[in-house]
Amino acid sequence: MAERNPFEQFDIAVEAMLSGAEPNSSLDRSTRELLRIARQIRHMPREAFRQRLMTDLKEQTMASATITPTVNPIREGFHTLTPYVIVNGASQFLNFMKQVFGAEERLRVPKPDGSIMHAEVSIGDSIIEMADASEQYPPRLAAIHVYVDDVDSAYQRAMAAGAASLHPPMDQPYGDRDASITDPLGNQWYMGKHVTKGNVVEGMRTVTPYLHPVGADKFIDFLKQAFGAVEISVYREWPEGPVVHAKLRIGDSMIELSEPHGPYQPIVTGLHLYTENTDALFKQAVAAGASPIFQPRDEPYGDRCAGVTDPAGNSWFIATHIKDVTF
Amino acid sequence: MAERRPLRQSLGDSADDRLLIEAAQRDRSRFADLYELYFDRIYAYVSRRVVDRADTEDLTSEVFHQALANLDRFEWRGAPFAAWLFRIASNAIADRSERLARERKIEPPPESEEADQEEAQDQARAFRMVRELPDDQRRVVEMRFVEQKSIKEIAGALGRTEGAVKQLQFRGLENLRARIGGGNG
Repeated sequence: MAERNPFEQFDIAVEAMLSGAEPNSSLDRSTRELLRIARQIRHMPREAFRQRLMTDLKEQTMASATITPTVNPIREGFHTLTPYVIVNGASQFLNFMKQVFGAEERLRVPKPDGSIMHAEVSIGDSIIEMADASEQYPPRLAAIHVYVDDVDSAYQRAMAAGAASLHPPMDQPYGDRDASITDPLGNQWYMGKHVTKGNVVEGMRTVTPYLHPVGADKFIDFLKQAFGAVEISVYREWPEGPVVHAKLRIGDSMIELSEPHGPYQPIVTGLHLYTENTDALFKQAVAAGASPIFQPRDEPYGDRCAGVTDPAGNSWFIATHIKDVTF
Repeated sequence: MAERRPLRQSLGDSADDRLLIEAAQRDRSRFADLYELYFDRIYAYVSRRVVDRADTEDLTSEVFHQALANLDRFEWRGAPFAAWLFRIASNAIADRSERLARERKIEPPPESEEADQEEAQDQARAFRMVRELPDDQRRVVEMRFVEQKSIKEIAGALGRTEGAVKQLQFRGLENLRARIGGGNG
């Protein structure tokens, strides 16, 4: 039998290696070295993949170059959702929050008559905005879920500041100690402290707006379609029963809601919603059934803003921060 | 076994690399240069830990997309850029490891992170050498070992005899051994 040439002999060793056979111990050192290199190369990337990934990355680069705004689309200190309380007596409202929740005033823009055109306070990691009501902006009160360090003392401070009790502090089966009050302006506050797992429940901000729309199920669908809300939890007392408590995420914030019950009746609320693209979200909200209050426009304070009313009558101020303005 | 370079030194960024990274941080379109420089190393690193080629490609892709998105977070403190990329890769693999382990698509635990990174560098060097082979040898080597085609299939695709393909395969690997330095196995 004729002896095989070295190329053929080597290919037999290659074939064995590729089929996963154990290396033949009788192979000479030189062949073993070549096979070691061959084994390394087996994991070499396909050229088509290398090129395709390069193209993908270039596209990602171009996309980020076109959409990256020069400033953060959410104004500093804000989250996606912020309650905007419009009230006859914004100054009194502001003082109430200072007294009861230790709110810190971060901005106050007065009108010539001394009333408040716009003000902001921070409570924990959140902001609440407010303005005095006017013909253009009628009152928009709110129900607000707020996490506090000590429910009992916050409740006492609220009562001392003229609030009316909805329910005194109590331990709830869901792990919070909470109390509810109506402030002298008519806003409802649900003050809670999460007893078992630290103060604030994961994913929640210090302040979360709470709505009680009639027909909560339909309203949840609206929030999903209009603002891309994501359902986190929905509790009912029995299957198909009314929504007792629901939690939805919009952007980096939560919104809670329930079907109206007892003293927790619909409150027409104002909400400030930051997004990357006001025009697009305005269009989406209107397509989902919201009514325009005003079309997208650039505001002198550096936001592009639009207004819509949802089917429950709440006002949503959709905004994108487009440039930093010093007040 | 050949003497190995200390890993920290071998991973370290040269002044040129550093310029490339800074340029890409200022202008994302320059990321392509970094990709060219680090692609093989990351791919080799992932392929050492993940059996399946599709998973390797998927994870490599994830690493570079993440690196591009988070490029601003890379700072010149301690760890070199390659180590930063290896960390992203290692996390991406860990994230998927449960699923991959279930599907038996993950390699047994590597001997050590450091050895793995070092092996990946050697392997990346071999990949580069393959691309620099004479064209006919390169095509045969790629088809045979990367695409795992039979000698007959390669012969058909290239219009050569099977004997010629076997010879190119042998010459290609010998050529690689000479270029890589050989003798360290």
